[in-house]
Amino acid sequence: MKSVVEIIETAASSGATGYTFSTHPLNLKILSALQDSGKIEQGFGLYPVLPYAQGYVRLANEKGMKGLVDETLSRLSLSDKAKAVFKGGLSALRLDPIGILKAYVDMELAGYLSEKPVNATLRSVLLHEVVTDLCLGLRDVHLLDVFAQHVREKYHVSPGFVTYNLANFVALFRKEGLSMKDVVIMTPFNSVGFQMSPSRHSCESCLSALPESNVIAMSIMAGGYLKFNEAMDYISSLPNLSGVAVGVSSKEHAHNTFMKLRTITEVSGQSAQISEPVKQPSEDELFE
Amino acid sequence: MKISVVGLGKMGLLHAAIVNSLPDVSVTSVCEKDLFLSVAAKAVLPKSVTVYRDVKQMVSEEQPDAVFVTTPTDTHVSIIDDLLKTRMNLSVFVEKPLAASHEQARIVCEATKGLPGVHMVGFQKRFSPVFQKAHELLNNVLEEPIFFRAYCLSSDVLREGSAWRSKRGSGGVLLDSAPHLLDVVIWFFGEPESVIAVKKHVYSHQVEDYVHAILSFQSGLQGHIDACWSVTNYRLPEFLLEIHGKNGMLTVTDDFVHFAPGKQTDGNAEGRVYHRQSFPTSTPFLLTDPEYSLEDVAFIDAVRTQTTPEVDFVQAAKVNALIDRILENTEQGRRISP
Repeated sequence: MKSVVEIIETAASSGATGYTFSTHPLNLKILSALQDSGKIEQGFGLYPVLPYAQGYVRLANEKGMKGLVDETLSRLSLSDKAKAVFKGGLSALRLDPIGILKAYVDMELAGYLSEKPVNATLRSVLLHEVVTDLCLGLRDVHLLDVFAQHVREKYHVSPGFVTYNLANFVALFRKEGLSMKDVVIMTPFNSVGFQMSPSRHSCESCLSALPESNVIAMSIMAGGYLKFNEAMDYISSLPNLSGVAVGVSSKEHAHNTFMKLRTITEVSGQSAQISEPVKQPSEDELFE
Repeated sequence: MKISVVGLGKMGLLHAAIVNSLPDVSVTSVCEKDLFLSVAAKAVLPKSVTVYRDVKQMVSEEQPDAVFVTTPTDTHVSIIDDLLKTRMNLSVFVEKPLAASHEQARIVCEATKGLPGVHMVGFQKRFSPVFQKAHELLNNVLEEPIFFRAYCLSSDVLREGSAWRSKRGSGGVLLDSAPHLLDVVIWFFGEPESVIAVKKHVYSHQVEDYVHAILSFQSGLQGHIDACWSVTNYRLPEFLLEIHGKNGMLTVTDDFVHFAPGKQTDGNAEGRVYHRQSFPTSTPFLLTDPEYSLEDVAFIDAVRTQTTPEVDFVQAAKVNALIDRILENTEQGRRISP
């Protein structure tokens, strides 16, 4: 735990402007340890991504989809955040999915906000790519909108979406007349087109055509396939990026990475964030 | 093209989202037997999708061109039967494995024999560029395979579960986690001539949590597999196949394929690694791994052209046959004590 905290502190002192993390229980401990250590400076941004999808997949495997829904709802019904939604009891006929979604977001975030280092600032709350892209594929724009509105109204920060389908995402928001003005989009950008659907070219065209962009590039090294310098050559060539999220695995790695990023991003006006510091495989093997 | 989905688990949602994003394809209905989940689906899904609780009623009223069946394994055969009795020319995609036993798989193969429509099973590793490259290297580069070893490991079951995957007749590590591995083995080497296997219960009482099997093939090739869903420290499932031939070794995982040539005994050349990122993969819509999208595109194309898909029911039934043979051997295998 100490080493993870030190990695984040090193990244922050080397130029990282924020921390992107999933709502994995480990990150709760990390935030708590960061708070205790007190070394995070004023304005350091937090970008939680929820839900921690792999945990839910494991629960679905263990208990089935019905078991997953039952367990999540019963956890919610015990939460202070959800009392109003469950006033009438838990039954299919009284189901209020919108109320449940909002209560769920609140429940997921509550612990993290209470453990937030004093100087850190919540910048955005992002929806995991599996949920964003499920809604996108199903054209379920209403759920995306409910999430966005709730984050704006309740937390007074920009709603965020992680997606592997940038062009599709932007097209759907435009078609449905949803505001993208303050929406943060975190999406892969790398020179080999890894996780860039339908193609690298279409993602690049979409990015350059965005009038006001809050796009944060992720997977810039294509899941460890590219070297940092070649990744940055490509990222620096892109217009309109507002930030870059990079994972690092040691203090030295954090220092070197963010010192280099500081030079590049200061020129281009981007910000650089640290994503979860312990390098993990991407959560893209969620389905059997 | 109108699509229906039966079963709103994670695979049902996955396929629904992918196919609904393909050009000229729409998911117009879903069927979920569970009352609570069906009401939840009605409340959450777009109004363009009608939610049913009865498969026959859905097919009669919606007249879909194709149906995705993503329910627990032991329900596949009766659902396919209901679907095809309601509409004979329906195309059907079934999530792997085809059935809970070879006997059930055989019944469904008989029932669909000669019927119009496309009948496919979701063995998505066949659509992974990494596995396709490994298959090519096995056929064209690796000389005279001597033996292989393979495993699929995960930390999915670290206590006894209550879902269908943990119940006798519908679950177990072989039926749930190993079908992809067994399909790749059959795809690469054909069906084994003989099987020797052992199994172990770690957490589950009704089903096996670990299986080890030695497979022998008519060509003289031998190999062994390990399947376990109760090992610790696997945040994500891991798959590996290592094939040793006379001129080197081929290793394939979900992330890369590596050919290490080694004609001499005094050291191996480095060989070449093909990472998944190095393959140009264009998918119209990406949800998790690209092979799910590529698989769904292949199914929709097969339905449009009414051609036989990569893994039809007959091919998929071979995996069920092998699972049954392995399980049977774990029960009956003769052990020789000192």
